[in-house]
Amino acid sequence: MIIRDLDTLNDIRQTRLNRLLRSRPRIGVGMGTCGVGNGAQTVYDALAEALVEKGLDADLEPVGCFGFCAVEPLVNVYLPGRPLVILAEVTPEDVPHIVDEIADGRVPTTKALCRIEEWDHLTGEVRFGRGLSEIPLWNEIPFFQGQQKIVLRNCGLINPERLDDYIAVGGYFPLYQALHKPGGDQIIEEINKANLRGRGGAGYPTGVKWNLMRKAKADTKYMICNADEGDPGAYMNRNEIESDPHMLLEGMLIGAYATESNKGIVYLRAEYPLAVQRLEKAVQDAREAGLLGERILGTSFSFDVELVEGAGAFVCGEETSMIASLEGRAGRPRPRPPFPAQSGLWGYPTNINNVETWCNVPVIVSRGGAWFAGVGTPNSTGTKVFSLVGKVKNTGLVEMPLGAPLKNIVYGIGGGSPAAKRIKAVQTGGPSGGCIPAKHFDTSVDYESLGALGAIMGSGGMVVMDEDNCMVDVARYFLEFTHSESCGKCIPCRVGLDEAVRILRKICDGEADMADVDKLEELAPMIRDASLCGLGQTAPNPVLTTLRYFREEYEEHIRARRCYAGVCEKLYLSPCENSCPLNMRIPAFLELLKEDRLEDAAEMVWLDNPLPASTGRICQHPCESQCRRGDEDAPVNMREVHRYIADTVFDGPLMERVRARLLEDRFEATGKRVAVIGAGPSGLSAAFYLAMLGHEVIVYEERDEPGGMLRYCLPEYRLPKDVLRAEIDVLESLGIRFEYGQTLGAGLSLDSLEQDCDTVFLATGTWNETRAGCTGEDAPDVWHAITFLEQVALGAPPSVGERVVVVGGGNAAVDSARTAVRLGAKSVTIVYRRERSDMPAIAEEVYDAEAEGVEVRFFLSPQRVVTDNDGHVKGIELRKTVPGEFDASGRRTPVSTDEILKLPCDLVIMAVGEKPDPDPLRRAGIHVRDNYTAKVDWMTYKTNRPRVHAGGDLVTGASNVSATMATGKAAARAIDRILMGEDRLDRVLKVFTYENRVPLEPEGGDRQVARHRAPDDRKNNFEEVMLGYGAEAAILESRRCLRCDVKEQCAVKGGTS
Amino acid sequence: MSNEINITINGRELKAREQQTILGVARSNDIYIPTLCFLKGLSGVGACRLCLVEIEGVPRLLPACVTKVTEGMVVTTESPKLKEYRRMILELLLAERNHVCAFCVVSGNCELQDLAQQLGVTYVRYPYRFPKYKVDATHDRFLYDPNRCVLCTRCMRACEEVEGARTWNVRGRGIRSFMITDLNQDWGDSPTCTTCGKCVEACPTGALAVKGRATGEMKRKKNVLSQLSSMRDRGR
Repeated sequence: MIIRDLDTLNDIRQTRLNRLLRSRPRIGVGMGTCGVGNGAQTVYDALAEALVEKGLDADLEPVGCFGFCAVEPLVNVYLPGRPLVILAEVTPEDVPHIVDEIADGRVPTTKALCRIEEWDHLTGEVRFGRGLSEIPLWNEIPFFQGQQKIVLRNCGLINPERLDDYIAVGGYFPLYQALHKPGGDQIIEEINKANLRGRGGAGYPTGVKWNLMRKAKADTKYMICNADEGDPGAYMNRNEIESDPHMLLEGMLIGAYATESNKGIVYLRAEYPLAVQRLEKAVQDAREAGLLGERILGTSFSFDVELVEGAGAFVCGEETSMIASLEGRAGRPRPRPPFPAQSGLWGYPTNINNVETWCNVPVIVSRGGAWFAGVGTPNSTGTKVFSLVGKVKNTGLVEMPLGAPLKNIVYGIGGGSPAAKRIKAVQTGGPSGGCIPAKHFDTSVDYESLGALGAIMGSGGMVVMDEDNCMVDVARYFLEFTHSESCGKCIPCRVGLDEAVRILRKICDGEADMADVDKLEELAPMIRDASLCGLGQTAPNPVLTTLRYFREEYEEHIRARRCYAGVCEKLYLSPCENSCPLNMRIPAFLELLKEDRLEDAAEMVWLDNPLPASTGRICQHPCESQCRRGDEDAPVNMREVHRYIADTVFDGPLMERVRARLLEDRFEATGKRVAVIGAGPSGLSAAFYLAMLGHEVIVYEERDEPGGMLRYCLPEYRLPKDVLRAEIDVLESLGIRFEYGQTLGAGLSLDSLEQDCDTVFLATGTWNETRAGCTGEDAPDVWHAITFLEQVALGAPPSVGERVVVVGGGNAAVDSARTAVRLGAKSVTIVYRRERSDMPAIAEEVYDAEAEGVEVRFFLSPQRVVTDNDGHVKGIELRKTVPGEFDASGRRTPVSTDEILKLPCDLVIMAVGEKPDPDPLRRAGIHVRDNYTAKVDWMTYKTNRPRVHAGGDLVTGASNVSATMATGKAAARAIDRILMGEDRLDRVLKVFTYENRVPLEPEGGDRQVARHRAPDDRKNNFEEVMLGYGAEAAILESRRCLRCDVKEQCAVKGGTS
Repeated sequence: MSNEINITINGRELKAREQQTILGVARSNDIYIPTLCFLKGLSGVGACRLCLVEIEGVPRLLPACVTKVTEGMVVTTESPKLKEYRRMILELLLAERNHVCAFCVVSGNCELQDLAQQLGVTYVRYPYRFPKYKVDATHDRFLYDPNRCVLCTRCMRACEEVEGARTWNVRGRGIRSFMITDLNQDWGDSPTCTTCGKCVEACPTGALAVKGRATGEMKRKKNVLSQLSSMRDRGR
């Protein structure tokens, strides 16, 4: 039927609406490419079959995609008079239930994601029905919160293959309006008023472009839609065409009318077969209805659209290349001017806009430019569709008003990292875009703000990256992409990118030096400024932004030959080893243990980690989060195995032999003398390596015993003092001298040490408490965690009374709480101002504390400590908080409310953080940062004083045992290199030979559970809680290793490499 | 006669005609702008980027060979940035293929060599790629050595625009771009080549040469192509 007037249009609309809304159930299955890929076709077929079987009179139709890719397939169910309900993750097994429910007149709710009561299609409204309030409204669920659907107004709700569905929701009415009321000038005026900017990436004002086009006089004028979407990770345009092809055609028709153009072309990727098919059908239907072709809607306006499938060259997204491609030539750009509006396809005036730009046009005509300009920011109006992919829980297509903060998209809609890892950056704009670091996630997403950060809006790809992504590798990946897509016409892009890719590959392979980074920094701006077209001009962006925000990662790759993200394979052997701050050769000691070579295993463990028994108890074990066995069942418990090795050595006759071996491994005396200040883990680790390298080492310690925080703050039940003592005895037997009662600035002066020694290593730690800043904090029964724990460690525990409240969420808070339980407190409560998942404490420790009766309460921040007239604590007033904006760490900032909670108690322990004491440093002339940590060159740990290095918590701020020991190890390496003129540390790390065989099937069975005391057996004493592995368990656990360190092996069963 | 336009190049106020390119105006006023893919008499492609100039009020650098002058245009052809970019471009080009002058027929008569001297390229900071391309010596009179090709496409344009034979074309893309004859056939088997030698005259380097010449012996007739095309324009 040919549509010539408004009545016909209205008739079609009403007929279809009646059928859709009033008469019978309707089931829509989300069948975009994404849905089909997740099994929507089988769901659809199963539904079709079940409906026939049941004899149910219901409409079953494919619809487009509603955007929430992570939970596809999506099925929406509408029962007359009820809300439209969207079901998520539907499988064919769910189908009988769904059909049964519908047959019984009920809306199936088992897999319900959300409900829609009414929907504003912007060209018309649809009211479904009310009720079912137990299912959240669509915009109440986190993924859709803050989204505003303008472009995606119909996606996932209408059948993209039916013209009358589009008309039913008000489609083609804006075209009628445009053709019959305002002239072309007025339409352009509206577009200008809307301030619509090109959605392809550059953000050029559409109205300005159209105006040029309107003014160009020629008998043929081309309107082109750029649907050559090619950014890796971006699929907005595909989904827009697959879900709602008519909105694109309508936009082009209106644009053609406004600019007096008569020929339209959609340049669509051939790799999008479903989009091609649906658009072809839409063009066909529109032609048959007289919406394309001659005398459209009864006017004198004629316009037709041709579909051209692109052959897949990325550069054809550039308009002059696209024109060349359309003319049958190779897709290579040419310089502009002349611009396509002056001389484009076949020399005729040509206007090219992106799919999404066109899709906005009908809405602007329908609602007016002013309405559109009211969405977003003044300079970036309207919405933008983003494909949110990468390391977020909720992936999918997200349409946000421009100007929304990036963090709301990443943390709010995306739901943050799925693996509870730290999100590092977002890559926007694909290969032409840049990486925005997490510290800039406050940035509003609009053209100017993203540009200011060196990124671009681009077509809307948004790839979230976490700590497992290597930023050098990201730059290399994108550059390899643009390099292989470069057309080769201009030299900067052709040869410049080739050279840049070579440099990046060299860095990833650990073969580059810092001069290569300089070369990269020279090349990138030249490629950007001198290349002929947009491809080359934007190709360096990933390099420029990663160099700007993640330069330290480049330096790590080059200077330390490390890729901490564990991506650049040539720089590490296994992921566990790479993630270990001490770089322990984990698969090797597991293998040695497996081969029953305990002595070798022990020697290796000691060489890699001089405190293996202590770290085996208290390390935060980052290795486990990287362990590939974790993808199979559970990660290998590597920490417990090296604890077992160390404990066994201590318990038996092996100790003397291991000690003898270490003495044998020690280098000949160099005659150099190094002073270490502070006998904490960092100082001990530095002392060990310096001693092994043949230097004379004297450790100066303020307290009476060595061990630092391990000795004075870690409770006995976690780390028994005699274990630590035994480990330090080993160090002493290597010739390290300890002097106690030596305080820096009081008796011990850097000046005289510099005289006596060749180098000084400062590791005095973080012994000053951060104050919580609440009233009454100075009352006598208010303890700070470190002082409290230290007092207990000294054997003079304070009386805790009956009820204890601990403020904080870190390990010090949990340690204090569990210690208070052991000191006899009847009730112990930890209060934390954020939520459980935000707690920095080790999760197992929190679990154990709760098992011992500790109560953990969240969203409470200390307000005032209540004391009686004698100054004794009576209780604490806590202010309730609510989660607010996301902060730089991706956690929600606690926002105080007026609500106050009073907890009666006898003792308050504040565990809100520690910092170094800056005064002795300042007096010694060491530069100190704002957070009181010592300022060092992070590769050499050198301070501003030439022969003074510093490490440990003193430079990093409060961290954990393995990280702080790693700084000691790294500083020892640097000190030795400076003293001896070469890097010798790796030579200390003796190499063992052992079998290198990858198990073809996972071995060793389930993860071994370490022995431990039951809560009732442990909460009244300070006996060690975790008892570790026995011999059998340790060997079984070591057999679980998948041997990621073995790089090559023939694939014969039982074969060796 | 077209209208007269006033433009400024490097502070000199100059008269120009409409439709003239910046390069054209500069050359007729003895202002040097380096070029490589440009050849008088052929269409401009703006590909080598050596002739990039700064124009006041334009945020991007534009190629002088194809950018038309406009009234009041203020052009700078020399700046530290332009100098550095041109140097880098030339160094990249020299590293891309095997430009060994010591064994080259056009040594002493080579535009690439001249540019390197003019721009002060005394060393190349990028590692040489040393490709190993087969030399095509199948043609009776001419030799094609892809190892010396700079992909300026002057041969292709001369063949297409002046001779009309369309023997030459570019195969592949990016760093794998490569000049080919016909459908990647041997030049000697080309059904389209007329053996006119215009491509050889157009080539700025030793990639296309007349057979039988020893090192440094190959000389080209200057301006033969521009004379041909201007005579043709007059004949129209």
